[in-house]
Amino acid sequence: MKILLMGHPNVGKSVFFNRLTGTKVFESNYPGTTVDFTKGWMRLEGEDVELIDVPGAFSLEWKDQAEEVAVKMLEENRDSVVVCVLDASKVERGLYLALEIIERGYPVVVALNMWDVTKDKNIGIDVEKLERILGVPVVATTAISGEGFKELVSKIKETAPVKIEKIIKNAGGGESAAVSG
Amino acid sequence: MPLSVDERWDLIDRISKQTVEFGAYKHTLKDAIAELTVKPLTGLPVAIAVIYGFWSFFCDFAGTLFTDGFMVKLFDEHWLPWLQSVFPGGLGNPFYALMVDAGHIENGVLVASDNCFEAFGVLTSGLFVVFGVVLWAILAFYLMFALLEDIGYLPRLAVLVDTVLHKIGLHGYAIVPTFLALGCNIPGVTATRTLETRKQRFLMITLLSVFVPCGAQIGIMQDLVPEMMGWIFLTLAIGYLGFGFILNKIVPGKSPEIIMDVPPYRMPVMKNIVSKLWIRTSKFLLVAVPFVLLGCVIVGIMYLPQVGAMDWLATVLGPFLMSWFGVPGETVSPLIAGFLRKDLAVGMLGGLMEQGIMTTFQVFTSVVLLCIYFPCLATFALMIKEEKWKEFIGSIASLVVMVLVYGGLIHVVGIMLGVA
Amino acid sequence: MEKKLSEMEFDEEGTVREIKENLRKQVAGMGIREGKEIRMATKQPIKGPVVVEVDKSLTSLGLGVAEKIVVEVDKDRKRR
Repeated sequence: MKILLMGHPNVGKSVFFNRLTGTKVFESNYPGTTVDFTKGWMRLEGEDVELIDVPGAFSLEWKDQAEEVAVKMLEENRDSVVVCVLDASKVERGLYLALEIIERGYPVVVALNMWDVTKDKNIGIDVEKLERILGVPVVATTAISGEGFKELVSKIKETAPVKIEKIIKNAGGGESAAVSG
Repeated sequence: MPLSVDERWDLIDRISKQTVEFGAYKHTLKDAIAELTVKPLTGLPVAIAVIYGFWSFFCDFAGTLFTDGFMVKLFDEHWLPWLQSVFPGGLGNPFYALMVDAGHIENGVLVASDNCFEAFGVLTSGLFVVFGVVLWAILAFYLMFALLEDIGYLPRLAVLVDTVLHKIGLHGYAIVPTFLALGCNIPGVTATRTLETRKQRFLMITLLSVFVPCGAQIGIMQDLVPEMMGWIFLTLAIGYLGFGFILNKIVPGKSPEIIMDVPPYRMPVMKNIVSKLWIRTSKFLLVAVPFVLLGCVIVGIMYLPQVGAMDWLATVLGPFLMSWFGVPGETVSPLIAGFLRKDLAVGMLGGLMEQGIMTTFQVFTSVVLLCIYFPCLATFALMIKEEKWKEFIGSIASLVVMVLVYGGLIHVVGIMLGVA
Repeated sequence: MEKKLSEMEFDEEGTVREIKENLRKQVAGMGIREGKEIRMATKQPIKGPVVVEVDKSLTSLGLGVAEKIVVEVDKDRKRR
């Protein structure tokens, strides 16, 4: 098993990565490209598990080489758990990426990072309800202070793939997509 | 089953309606600054201030504090005299010349060097270039760069320069590889990944390898010819934009417009900065140290009177260099060293300057030529790896043309101004 | 009144009405889509890019990209 850390650029993913891994961190180059990524190891229930900091991507519909590599790395590591790091103050566009990953059948843990910013910006997120709808663990984190990391780590082994149809049902949908505003 | 874009957004809307609540929110000072620094009227002066601050720190911290204040004294007053006194062989011995001091001819007599730019031994100039000058320049550069990166300033700079860079087929984000290449061309070439098309990456890699001097080189230039730095950067910038404009017209392919997230400012995290600084600096040292030392050995061997290769090259290429670029034949040796390491090459130029055989304009031309004539070997190797062979040949061909045209042009301008 | 995003005035607000098909996927990850409120944060001179605010985050778009997005602007509404 590997753990892939995925998320938009600029959501504090590298701080997140540094917090999860020990001191042994390697930067390597994705073969045939100019894209570098970092990997390290984290302790998970007494085991050392490889953690890969995948290049930032806004969507799996890649438009530059870094995003292309992100998609390739996801495809090459079918047996991974994906920790999807979102900017909690921009949940909607973060969910866009998270859903794309869930749709492809990966077990996902959603980290609502920069949780402290949501308080500043007066944004309220019902984490439990979000977790119920998505059917995957959702954890509020602040990478800079370390808030939520214990919980996040404990959820990595719990998560499992979810069918998108189930999420649509949980969200009260099921009827056609014409309900949008 | 994957959803379509619209289906996915509909689902997100439904989810967020049930789970997210946007309370009343006033734009704060931070938001105001976030916007002001990206507006042209306020953003451009800020950008100039940031770059000036960056440059001042680079000069003061690396140049004045470490190199001049400490390292030059350590190397010239203690390390070099000590080696000269204890190293077996002595002046004129080939091994001594390679490792410590080749000396130079003054009035027909071989005399010992009194500084580490001139000595040109592996243990003197080689170590001095890496640990006396370049390491501090690189540290200062990457520290500032990591700060700008983590604060979230770079995307704003990218928006501000997009207007100009789009005219040469790149987009604003090309400022990141360009800026990074000012530290070392290798991560600069690597950072071209954020550009979208092959055309953009080709343009960027070619322009980088020609017109963007690396931090090691800048550190040495700043140490040797501080008064010329403004002119040197201006000349390089004109070349970058001018040849970028031309290349954009002749290279086929698309140059899509920018679509880029402009993130909010954030407090940088110490651990993150330190970890980046460590990764980049150690990577740099891994490449630089062997190449500088190897360069010292190769150039040293060519210089040996028993070998005489450098003298021969200077005689053969001298007339061409003199007539086309207006620089003396002696610059052949730095130009050859420049294949291996630019910092070493500029350092050798320093040795020539100390001997007083070049006019000010010739020094200027040589320094610019060293920047543009060939990427260092490590960058060259990376280009072979990164580019398809057709692009690579294109890069090299453009490089040769640009050097000949631009180098000649500088000479012509010099003649017209009456300084060449 | 509908106009192109590229024609919006500085600080003007509106609602995204139409995004050209080939652009949709590209801007989707940035949270720009039909029905979203959008504000023009800055416009760079000499045909430079625009910076727009959607969901309290800023995105920079080239002018040619902005031309492919149609926005309905509401004249009476005041910001904040």
